[in-house]
Amino acid sequence: MSDRSFAGRTAIVGIATSDFRALYGRDPERTREELATHAIRGALEDAGLEKSRIDGLVTGGTSHYEPIAYRAGLTDVRFVADYPSAGRMCAVALMHAAMAVEHSLANYVVLFNSVCFRSQQNRFGYSSGSTGLMYESVYGMASPGAQYSMAFTRYQHLYGGSEAQLGAFALAFRKHARLNPVAIMQDELTLDDYLAARYIARPLRLFDYCLVNDGAVAYIVTSAERARDLRHKPVLIGGTAERANFREWYVDLEFWADACGSMKRDLLDPLGVTTADIDCLQVYDNFSPSVLWGLEGFGFAPRGEGLDWIQDGRIELGGELPVNTSGGLISEAYLQGWNQHAEAVRQLRGEAGARQVPDCKRVLYWCLSALPNASLLYADD
Amino acid sequence: MAYDKPLPVPTREDRPFWEAAREHRFVLPRCRECGHVWFPPYESCQRCLSFEREWFEASERGVVWGYTLMQQPYVPGYRDELPYNVVLVELEEGPMVYSNLVGVPDDEIRPGLAVEAVFEDVTEEFTLIRFRRAEEPSGRDRT
Repeated sequence: MSDRSFAGRTAIVGIATSDFRALYGRDPERTREELATHAIRGALEDAGLEKSRIDGLVTGGTSHYEPIAYRAGLTDVRFVADYPSAGRMCAVALMHAAMAVEHSLANYVVLFNSVCFRSQQNRFGYSSGSTGLMYESVYGMASPGAQYSMAFTRYQHLYGGSEAQLGAFALAFRKHARLNPVAIMQDELTLDDYLAARYIARPLRLFDYCLVNDGAVAYIVTSAERARDLRHKPVLIGGTAERANFREWYVDLEFWADACGSMKRDLLDPLGVTTADIDCLQVYDNFSPSVLWGLEGFGFAPRGEGLDWIQDGRIELGGELPVNTSGGLISEAYLQGWNQHAEAVRQLRGEAGARQVPDCKRVLYWCLSALPNASLLYADD
Repeated sequence: MAYDKPLPVPTREDRPFWEAAREHRFVLPRCRECGHVWFPPYESCQRCLSFEREWFEASERGVVWGYTLMQQPYVPGYRDELPYNVVLVELEEGPMVYSNLVGVPDDEIRPGLAVEAVFEDVTEEFTLIRFRRAEEPSGRDRT
């Protein structure tokens, strides 16, 4: 095992997520602070932990530490980290919380992300006054989704595959969401529905895109040793990995193959964990091709064959490798990877109800972006 | 009607690029120290961090890496163009640039298409570099 690993020495002990579906109606007075406060209270209750024990505070995505700390009355904090406003920071935030605990900078770290995208009517994809590094807006280019779309045309050029095949992601995630009462998207989605939906940036359609919603997620990280005194079976942090992909055009020209290979070597190889040992994936589905390229990059599917590989229920509950069992960013809620980690915890505790993956021991997360990152969580046996 | 799409906002990093485009020249920055060519036109070399930048006349040729057909009005002024294409072009010199293809029907746009620059004077002040299907095969394989 490599020296960088502190696998299994830290744990997630409490989680809470909003009722995303209930929050889907717009409320102009709703705030990120109130949603975060609800989630932090929920995570403390879930852990069975007194608030006074919290001595670390980590925020990711669009939240910020100070307004929440006031409202939650967090007065004895000795470790704070606040990550930039981007969806990609979830496993990074988890990494730093675990490192803080491992090195006794804090004993109980609360992490959260809270968004009010829908109520505040955030517009994604173009900000006025910015022409971007590569002058994209002067050419009418906007939005990460269009960049993934562009990369998907490249992928199809090299490897083939149809738009209908890509729809297997949207269909699987919707099927899972329908087993999750807090998921926003509850209507049945057929392949015909998927194909009939409007294009956003062709060839990507509406249901290849994540939602825009309100909600919050919080969790608490502590040492595995302390975790064993708390309410639930601990979910151990196997590790996290990052592999930056800093290119002005956002997507990776090799579909993140190097980034995934690097993260796999850093995260899974030292633990002797292979793809066959992963019981389900809870991964960042900002746009559905992102999941395709992770499946290939981590070696679940052969390079260039991912679209064939995901067919016939393979990534659905009951299939060989269930993916995004809560519905993911596309059908549960866009909580920027934080809801994926919450679902991983539920699965590893065996608390996922109708969508439980039998005997779930190891869950892998990844986010493919300009700052790819990944995490491995596993059950305490 | 006044041009209502986004326009460049030149700075000292890229002013020479836009001034050259206005003269219908496609220039790229190159490092005097190590020879690296880059884009977007930062003031310094991405390889050796030298600020000894020179400009040279690019081949104006490239290959479509990928494309998308924009179907939603994200960008002001582009609503009336919907749907329109955006391409990511790999220039012969190596760098990637976003642009649009002109004169190519949507169903004929594909990665691998050889393209060459065209200059469109969109305002008194600005010229955008777009691309059309190359009239002869890319010079990449030629010496």
